[in-house]
Amino acid sequence: MTTALTEAYVFDRLPIEPIPSGTNLLVTGPPHGRTQDLLYELLAGGDDGGMLFVTTDDDGVTVAETYEGLGHTFDPGRMCLIDASQHNKDTADAPIRHVASPSDLTGIGMEFSSLYESLRGSGLGQIRVGLSSISTLLVYAEDFRAVYRFLHTITSRIRTADGLGVFGVDPDAVEDEAFATIAQTFDARLDVREGEDGPEVRIHGLDDQPTGWLSL
Amino acid sequence: MEPMPDADTVSVLYVDPDDDAQLETATDLDISPLVDAAVETCATIEEAIDTLESTAVDCLVTEHELSDGTGLELVEWVRDNHPDLPCILYTSAPPDAIRTAEFGSVVVEYLPKEIPDSVTALARLIDNVVSQRSQLAYPIPETEDERLAALERYDVIDLEATETVDRLTDLVASHFGVAVAFAGVVDAHEERFLACKGADWEQLDREDTICTYTLLEDDHLIVENVQADSRFGDVEVLKELDIRSYAGVPLKTPDGLPIGALCLIHDEPRSYTDSEIEDLHRFADELMEQLELRRRLRETERAVPKPDHQGAR
Repeated sequence: MTTALTEAYVFDRLPIEPIPSGTNLLVTGPPHGRTQDLLYELLAGGDDGGMLFVTTDDDGVTVAETYEGLGHTFDPGRMCLIDASQHNKDTADAPIRHVASPSDLTGIGMEFSSLYESLRGSGLGQIRVGLSSISTLLVYAEDFRAVYRFLHTITSRIRTADGLGVFGVDPDAVEDEAFATIAQTFDARLDVREGEDGPEVRIHGLDDQPTGWLSL
Repeated sequence: MEPMPDADTVSVLYVDPDDDAQLETATDLDISPLVDAAVETCATIEEAIDTLESTAVDCLVTEHELSDGTGLELVEWVRDNHPDLPCILYTSAPPDAIRTAEFGSVVVEYLPKEIPDSVTALARLIDNVVSQRSQLAYPIPETEDERLAALERYDVIDLEATETVDRLTDLVASHFGVAVAFAGVVDAHEERFLACKGADWEQLDREDTICTYTLLEDDHLIVENVQADSRFGDVEVLKELDIRSYAGVPLKTPDGLPIGALCLIHDEPRSYTDSEIEDLHRFADELMEQLELRRRLRETERAVPKPDHQGAR
């Protein structure tokens, strides 16, 4: 018998086949814009899944608004945001936790663990986790090793809890060697680019997926 | 370090100022089917550090409020002294009540104590962080377990190979005209220098080494300017040791498992020609062949049966 936890994650509005639970995806592309939209589409999972998003650049309120602008519903009952951007708005009611800076990896990690545990505790089978920009974490961090440890910790938790992780990075903002090291932490990679007829995505490292550049 | 009681048993240090919480959590973890744990308990940072300095611990679990400081202060000590040790903050304090800003780089797992059946969640988390090695600050080879097992078979002292390794390393240093040449083996948490010409390094935490990255390479790793590479530029120890440029070839067993590296270090950025890199490969092959021959010799010696005084049946 298959339990809800081990079911693959489905993407209704993307040209992507279902992705097995416990997978961590690296989403590479220019900052904001299409890359950010793809992150949100990957996170939008129907009406009954949990969602947890760490924003390092836009403030939490903007993230929720952008997400809704794409035609999704931000349901505070099963969705939460960790705002580690440095332009917090005062949001007493919204399900937004604040961390003072993208350099506070310990604070982000603790909020992440706490929220992840409470989403699981409320009986949600599928939980999608996103982080807007690894490049931003690298800019602010004292040490590359801290970012690596942070990513390793979070991706391990997603893997062992049958979640889905989607992490954005701007490859042009990270040195090649550091990028290659970061990429090794992930199971697969989605590259985003602006094609002739609009945005396109290409999938690396997953079985049973379409190949080449796909129109979004 | 004391030997582990059993390779599969996870030794947990549980730090909590409350005696009842100590006893209860330790007992629950002991009997949990989710993790095979041996739990030691203590109440303060001072006691925890004493234990960590004298015993092999696989996972630290700590409350946040302790009589002589906070859990994050303890984790900060761990990151400086046993950086690879997985740490879990298991606490009644909610995340927003904990001051994390000055500990932004320590990174820790967090589990609230107040959730239903929290010890089950704790047992599962301990098992995960240990088996996934999830708090390492560097990538490891896919063959890490096999690699560590192989490493035990190439113990240089046991193989009486110390002089050979010294001699080869001296040759390497004079051949390339670099400040330092060394041969090192990388174990689970440290790099140990078997021979080191031009410096007297004995060991480094694995997360501080470039060699741990060399293990992942098929051929070699050249870092012409260490301080300009974002992976290594922030590592204080490398600056202190004047490691400004690095060239390393992995030392691989005949079945391809990397156990260490043969390396050149210079005190200013420099590059290497293809033929120099080829030479470094030859020296590495020579060193590994010496170790392999000695290992086989030792294996053969041990396989020869002792005279049997009982007589054959």
